[in-house]
Amino acid sequence: MTVDYADVVIAGGGIAGASAACKLAAGGLSVVLLEKQEEYRDLVRGEWLAPWGIREAQRLGVYDCFGAGGGWEIREWMTWDEAVTEDEVEAVDMTRFIPGIGGPMSFPHHQVCELMAAQAVDSGARLVLDAARVTVTPGREPVVTYQTAEGPQEIRARMVLGATGRGNTVGRQIGVRMRNSMHHWGGGMMVEGMDGWPADVQAMGTEGDVMFMVFPQGYGRARLYLNFPTVNKLRYRGPGGVERFLAAFELDCLPDRGKAVTEAVPAGPLSVWPSVSSVPEGPPLTEGVVLIGDEAGNADTVLGTGLSCALRDSRTVCDILLGGDDWSPAAFAPYLEERDFRLERLDFGASIISRLHVEFGPAATERRRRVRKLMAKNFAAQVTGLLNMVAPEDVPEFGFSEFFAERLFRETA
Amino acid sequence: MNKKRIQVNDVELAYVDEGEGDPVILLHGFPDSSYLWRHQIPALVEGGFRVIAPDLRGFGDSGKPQEIEAYGMQTIVNDVVALTMKLGIRRPHIVGHDWGAAIAWMYAFLMPRRLDHLAVLSVGHPGVFATPSLEQRAASWYMLFYQFPGVSEELLRRNGWRLFKEIMGRDGDYDRYLRDLARPGALTAGLNWYRANRSPEAELRPARPFPPVLAPTLGIWGAGDKALLEEGMSASGKYVKGPWRYERVEDAGHWLPLDAPDEVNKLLLGFLGTEQAAHEERRPRRRL
Ligand SMILES: Cc1cc2nc3c(=O)[nH]c(=O)nc-3n(C[C@H](O)[C@H](O)[C@H](O)COP(=O)(O)OP(=O)(O)OC[C@H]3O[C@@H](n4cnc5c(N)ncnc54)[C@H](O)[C@@H]3O)c2cc1C
Repeated sequence: MTVDYADVVIAGGGIAGASAACKLAAGGLSVVLLEKQEEYRDLVRGEWLAPWGIREAQRLGVYDCFGAGGGWEIREWMTWDEAVTEDEVEAVDMTRFIPGIGGPMSFPHHQVCELMAAQAVDSGARLVLDAARVTVTPGREPVVTYQTAEGPQEIRARMVLGATGRGNTVGRQIGVRMRNSMHHWGGGMMVEGMDGWPADVQAMGTEGDVMFMVFPQGYGRARLYLNFPTVNKLRYRGPGGVERFLAAFELDCLPDRGKAVTEAVPAGPLSVWPSVSSVPEGPPLTEGVVLIGDEAGNADTVLGTGLSCALRDSRTVCDILLGGDDWSPAAFAPYLEERDFRLERLDFGASIISRLHVEFGPAATERRRRVRKLMAKNFAAQVTGLLNMVAPEDVPEFGFSEFFAERLFRETA
Repeated sequence: MNKKRIQVNDVELAYVDEGEGDPVILLHGFPDSSYLWRHQIPALVEGGFRVIAPDLRGFGDSGKPQEIEAYGMQTIVNDVVALTMKLGIRRPHIVGHDWGAAIAWMYAFLMPRRLDHLAVLSVGHPGVFATPSLEQRAASWYMLFYQFPGVSEELLRRNGWRLFKEIMGRDGDYDRYLRDLARPGALTAGLNWYRANRSPEAELRPARPFPPVLAPTLGIWGAGDKALLEEGMSASGKYVKGPWRYERVEDAGHWLPLDAPDEVNKLLLGFLGTEQAAHEERRPRRRL
């Protein structure tokens, strides 16, 4: 067994963990980043980064990893949807929500993670790929053990960051329980050869029994997602699943009935998953261990804010670690407070969006039509839509009241 | 391909050095590195050459000084001279693409005795550039773009390097360039190549006479080049006193070594070392 020392050990080299490794190593701390994959592969994660998340990436000093890793600014959202008639379709300009930032960015997730890990290494961090069986023993001097091809390893650290995502590998070991709920299922796949699709335009809408998302990444590539009811959870599995997934984009509301998408070529695995939101029952930390990113709790992916949250977590926690010598749980109180507030808002917003856009059938479609009318009449009713563009604290308070939600659904029932 | 490192002319250069035989130096352009030549290196080695492909200063794994002055053409030519001297090479063939071609021409002017054959890809003789047609100016608008010091790094990086991506399109190793340029100091270094050498003032200055090129010279231009016009290369012959060949490659754009590797290999192998250099003109000794 090799025994090592490090200021900070980070378990999980995703967006949260790898960005933290960059920031902490650049700040002069000794950092070990443990990633279980042998090499970075397309795990079908989030690839749409909100403008407020881009700002977090800039603050963390990892912005170039996105651009260089294949990030592509999307400028317009065309509101193609079965509840919107052809002449009502609008192009929403997404470049103006945060001054100086521009539109959201769509990027190949694993390539960006790989570049971040490389940047962390350039700044002095140690990256361990293929790290198996990570165990964490919390305490004033936490201990991490893991397994590599060379055998068992041990690191004594001052701090461990748990960033293993929804698997909650670290969280479970330190006794952080999650309250999980599931509203629908989702699937995602990378495609190329979509040259017929305008590169600046994203689509996000509902028709029939799918909510579809198309996020272009330039050069004819795009990330496709579908959200669909749990009863259809097997539809895109098994032989022919990829073909059925692509065929699901043959939609009346899309130009040419979605031809640009249905004729695209798969360029990565298709992955189908239950869309779970997890809210931690207690604080996501203990002595010597702090959780960040999805591992600390996450809202439904329908909102597209998980990445931004992972980056915000990473920045907040790194600032505390780099800001002083007090790394006791009490020092992370500002992180916990901000995170609770944020997750509560996102969870609330995601539940509204899910009910509105990821429920299907004639009644749900009618509701969507009425909601659109209401929003056209009263701009304030669009408040929830702001949630994936600007940071949760910048969305007006009234959007998060039960009163607002109740009225929205009552008036449109 | 493993790179070696060497300290020359106040900068550390990384370079590929493969094979045995007559030496060929391969000079890449913007925003490439020796990686540009990955299809040529094995073919030339196979053809019996010793191939040396440096990452020019500011690019790839080489040093990246941040001052504009560090990127003057003469300084970069000096890098090549110093590199060959340190490696004990007296009279190499020189092959250049894009900025590397400009360096190769300059090398031919300054170091005629240290040059065997010259092959230039995409970029013709600077004499043709000195009186550019309007059309050529439009095609090289992107060169002028790099003139705003400080601002353009920020502009190019903005929105996930969107502008840069639009300029580059799907040409060359487009999905690799940003990884290189995002390395610390790399973007400024790359842009400094332009800032040091193509300032608007320099464009307006009257053309100075260039010394004739005595080496046998091969010019190659890709018919799909969006940045540089054919006349830039085809009209270069009038500045070459040695044997001159011009080859137009139909199925290639600006990045000839990548777009048409087999054709470029064939042209290089059929040219390097095959011609007699023109004799240096005898000039009457000037009296003071
Ligand atoms: C299909 C899908 C679509 C989504 N769409 C969006 C979107 O468009 N926009 C958005 O903002 N968010 C989206 N999200 C959410 C977003 O992907 C996540 O919030 C984000 O990836 C969280 O980052 P993370 O680093 O915390 O976790 P992860 O991305 O899950 O990364 C965890 C990392 O840790 C590694 N790891 C796991 N277990 C171990 C272990 N035991 N030891 C060592 N390493 C380990 C993993 O290999 C991985 O590299 C989506 C999520 C999914 C699943």
